[in-house]
Amino acid sequence: MARVLIADDDADIRDLVAFKLNQGGHQVTAVEDGVAALRAVREQPLDLVLLDIRMPGLSGLDVCRRLRSCDETASLPVILITARSQEGDVELGFAAGADDYIVKPFSPRELSSRVTALLTRVER
Amino acid sequence: MIPLPVGLVTGALLDLLAAGLALSLLIVGIRVVRTHRRRRHERIAAPVRVLLLELLCAPDDEQSELLDRIARIDRRTWVALEPTVTSMLGKVTGRARTALVLLCERRGSAAAALADLGSRTAPRRGRAAQLLGQLGHRPAVPALCRLLGDRDREVRLAAARALGRIGDPVAAPRLLRSLHGPRTVPPRVVTAALTSLGPEALPGVVAGLRDPSPLVRAVAVEVLGTTGAIARTPEIVRALREDPDTEVRIRAARALGRLGMPEGLAPLVAALGPDRPAALRMVAAGALGGLGAVAATVPLTRLLGDVDAHVAGAAARALLRLGPQGEAALRQAADGRPGTRAAAQARAALAERAVGGTRHDVLVEVTL
Repeated sequence: MARVLIADDDADIRDLVAFKLNQGGHQVTAVEDGVAALRAVREQPLDLVLLDIRMPGLSGLDVCRRLRSCDETASLPVILITARSQEGDVELGFAAGADDYIVKPFSPRELSSRVTALLTRVER
Repeated sequence: MIPLPVGLVTGALLDLLAAGLALSLLIVGIRVVRTHRRRRHERIAAPVRVLLLELLCAPDDEQSELLDRIARIDRRTWVALEPTVTSMLGKVTGRARTALVLLCERRGSAAAALADLGSRTAPRRGRAAQLLGQLGHRPAVPALCRLLGDRDREVRLAAARALGRIGDPVAAPRLLRSLHGPRTVPPRVVTAALTSLGPEALPGVVAGLRDPSPLVRAVAVEVLGTTGAIARTPEIVRALREDPDTEVRIRAARALGRLGMPEGLAPLVAALGPDRPAALRMVAAGALGGLGAVAATVPLTRLLGDVDAHVAGAAARALLRLGPQGEAALRQAADGRPGTRAAAQARAALAERAVGGTRHDVLVEVTL
């Protein structure tokens, strides 16, 4: 079981991701913006973070950069979530230090597989 | 100046104040009603929302039972849940999306949306078009084609986007026609919709190259380039050589660069001629870079000294994209007499590359 954070301003996506990962036995915290995501990372130990790239205020890219610049969170696995029309952001995402990305619309199964794969990679 | 009676002025001000107050109350009232309705819907939908999430995340063997349960919910609950279902349609793929489409079919959402396409209110027509597009409902294509001429712009846009999502090639000629006339759809929306229709729509798109409207021809040629229609290279070459409209020729040049077929080389080199419009020469130079044809090195090198700095710059960047031979030509030009235009352009391109990260293809399009 892993502790996962999902940050997305879209309640449908938050609920869907949380539901799917809960089903897989993970413990999920859902927040709706970048500031809340950073707060959650500070307040609780996490194994993986899912960040929507486009969020009001602090974007997923900003959050990712901040996580990478801090010693305690520099190696925390990060998956970015992006819309198909913003695929150019993926390049920026990897430059910001993200480990993987998922394009919206996505299959809940694919999401679950990617999370599992990244967690397995990190464990090794 | 005639003095106004004090009572009259006071009365008018009081009337104005009362009208303002009434308007404010009306706005607040509408907001309260909407918020109340939304919360009531959320409350009603909450228990079945969990079922919906379960359906989206369910393994194959459990999906049909969950589908049955949600399909049987009462009308009041379905009305509250339907916005979430339609919103989720655009957010998930795979079996989760298939389950949502089946659910909508079982609840008769497509039939209701088809009926709503004829609604008197524009937002309802637009929402119906959007839903039919998300459902990929092919029987709606004729009605959606008619909506491309709707009196409301947003409805026309929703219809065009829906036709793109449904992907029926029969919509191609109608989408192209929606570019002109009294009620039009913006070119970028038509281009995106046509691009989504897939290769079966290409005959319809190619037919657009013979349309009397330059805008239709320009969009048609653009779509051929973005969809990678390499079998249509001869038609694009003809557009570049013969079309009377500069914008169509520019888009044809760009399309040839995207397609990367060797047949594009000669017409693109011909488009570099000094008697051609500067914008066309610039795009043709960029397209030659995209083509990656080493044979373009000499004509592009000649352009480095062009009087038009944009054309010369595009040629320099295109040379970089040709690989070692193009770069060697640039270095030779850069070593030339200082102060000449060609040397300056060559040095600028090499310096740009040295600092890294400049996307030459994008740069050419942005300049346009």
